Amino acid sequence: MKKIFTVIMLAFLAMGYVRAQEPSSSLGFTPSSYYTFTWSTAFPIGNFHDWVSQPGPAGFDFGGRYLLNKGLTVGFNFAWQRVTKLYEDETYTIPDKGIAITANNYRFTWMCPFQAVVAYHLVPDKIVSPYIGLGIGGDYMEHHLMIQEYDIYKTYWDFSLTPEVGIMAKFGNFSNWGGILAFNYKFTTNKVELYEKSYDNLQMLNIRLGIAYIIR
Amino acid sequence: MKTKLGLFILGAGLIFMQACTKYPPSSERLLEDLAVITQYDTKIDFNNYKTYAIVTSITKITDKDTTQVNDQMAQNVLAQIAKNMELQGFVKAADGVKPDFGIDVIYYENTYVYTYSYDWWGYYPYWDWYYPYYPVYYSSYTAGAANIELIDLKVVDTNNQKLYLRWNAFIRGLLTGTHTSADIMNAINQAFIQTPQLRTSAK
Repeated sequence: MKKIFTVIMLAFLAMGYVRAQEPSSSLGFTPSSYYTFTWSTAFPIGNFHDWVSQPGPAGFDFGGRYLLNKGLTVGFNFAWQRVTKLYEDETYTIPDKGIAITANNYRFTWMCPFQAVVAYHLVPDKIVSPYIGLGIGGDYMEHHLMIQEYDIYKTYWDFSLTPEVGIMAKFGNFSNWGGILAFNYKFTTNKVELYEKSYDNLQMLNIRLGIAYIIR
Repeated sequence: MKTKLGLFILGAGLIFMQACTKYPPSSERLLEDLAVITQYDTKIDFNNYKTYAIVTSITKITDKDTTQVNDQMAQNVLAQIAKNMELQGFVKAADGVKPDFGIDVIYYENTYVYTYSYDWWGYYPYWDWYYPYYPVYYSSYTAGAANIELIDLKVVDTNNQKLYLRWNAFIRGLLTGTHTSADIMNAINQAFIQTPQLRTSAK
């Protein structure tokens, strides 16, 4: 994972460097808005890591940004993510009923985040445009514990905050397409409560890599 | 322009929908694993019990019939259960002496048959056994499940002709995967390990 991350970073930095050396580093038009579609990988941290201690590369994100002025954009994000891990020979108990279950089991969380986003592009009219942003919204999460054919799960809605840094690199001065790479930290008020396991304030890091369609 | 945007959104949406499977793709493999499920009666004190007797064969229930199995594997299973009972402080009742607990082992080879009644060594012919709790997790099972039942013969409900089940262990998945006899013995051991309450210090 670290190697992939490093390669992606180097590729983007190289792309930005190459673009910066071009005579005209400015876009041939002023973007009014753009839409992004990214593949995202979630890295559970903190309590969330105690529930599923493995990154989840199954995730997609769709978003739109509308330029207000001087690099300030507002928009939205919808996403779909799943983190999962197989745990072997774990014992779950329900003490008040005298029940204990030992088995291999899948723990996974399926998430549908939706957020309003504010982002500030430092140089919005340049080919390579870094930005910082903040997403505010919520998630629908399903936390599943699967043992044989049993699927025990609970669902929760939450409030979430997602500060993000990213970089958008257009594919040319007059191209409507670009690549986007972003990292974010996400704090949620979501929780897992299954059997004796209880985790709250689920948090994660996300890396997003995808494409952007830029509208003049 | 609008056409391109539309195509982009449509394409992205299609990819998104294709990838949006909620469940992990390999979760079906869980059906091949053994699961050990135990439940004990939380209202009794096992220190009030000391002796047990165990059946000499395993009752096998299939879609067609019910038979008694007494092969080497069955004997090994029964011996493993007895060994664990001894480790928990229980002793085997002498011949002719009424035990505190009776242990029965039922092997279900079929699917979705749950209820089974039997006469217990002739002590209480035609009586039903009775779960003092509602076994919510045992309402159905995949093919190949063994149920070890610890039946109270010390406290019986003579008015309603009921025998109380104080502990049982359900070992599931015996036919859906490849399991060695060592796996099955380990599952039996696990059933006792995960029920530390099933222990007596009675003299």
